[in-house]
Amino acid sequence: MSSQTQVEETLDLSKFFDNLWVAIVWDDPVNLMNYVTYVFIKLFGFSKEKAHKLMMQVHTEGKAVVASGTREEMERAVQQLHEHGLWATLQRDDHGRV
Amino acid sequence: MSMAYGPHYKEMIMGEFKGSAAANDLSVALSNDELHILINLVEQLLELLGERNFTHHYQSDDPFAQLMAATLGNIESPIDQPEDPVLRRLLPNGYADPESAAEFRKYTEGSLRMVKQKHLLYLREQLVFPVDHELPKADIAVTDPTQWLIAINDLRIALAVRLDIGQDGYEKFELMKDSDPQKHLHAVYYWLGAIQESLISHL
Repeated sequence: MSSQTQVEETLDLSKFFDNLWVAIVWDDPVNLMNYVTYVFIKLFGFSKEKAHKLMMQVHTEGKAVVASGTREEMERAVQQLHEHGLWATLQRDDHGRV
Repeated sequence: MSMAYGPHYKEMIMGEFKGSAAANDLSVALSNDELHILINLVEQLLELLGERNFTHHYQSDDPFAQLMAATLGNIESPIDQPEDPVLRRLLPNGYADPESAAEFRKYTEGSLRMVKQKHLLYLREQLVFPVDHELPKADIAVTDPTQWLIAINDLRIALAVRLDIGQDGYEKFELMKDSDPQKHLHAVYYWLGAIQESLISHL
């Protein structure tokens, strides 16, 4: 493999990660724990266990990444979370960078 | 997040849900007082959400007016976050960065308001139409439990912001004197939480 090819592959990979976005749900004092679990199941099709685990992560750590994908997909996810009264934002995925 | 209430919450549930969403026979019994409180809250929040002119078309039956209103909403220039703290919480920023947040809001706030109004209008219709005000209690069919849940959740959010209810809200509520003019509003907030909790357990 030539060094030229390697450079190109690295560039392609970074482009891929640039397109990775995440939707984050933030803790708030109002939303009921089982309501948040219900919303995660309804919107993202999670199992009850996974939804509960993510809900607990929001509750204890103050936030959790609940979805990842393209920017458009995450904008849609955040919009739906807002429609359900959850406090959510989207951002580039910091951890996916190489 | 919240578990809604302390150990006495069951005493607060006067309106009890019966049946199940799966069997399509879910209903709730509410007293006249409870109905009035709910309808009043729903109408106040509808009024607040309808503040910006392009979202007022829920009041219009004319399809052309609705279309124009929707179109006007889409070509609005970037819009600031609402000033009212309740609206700031119900229509939050989608991005931490203010510039992206304003751009996102430009395309989404109008439809977010509409969706919230839709849920509240649905709930209002459910509460207003079947009620015979001569009877002390009304059995109300919960035809769309999800819309109920979301509407009640939005009402709870609005009340919590107005009453400044935080994580320690329930302890504060229990310490409030009966003479405190805000105490009954706090009670309404926890009552709504109990209704929501009960509804979720029937889904």
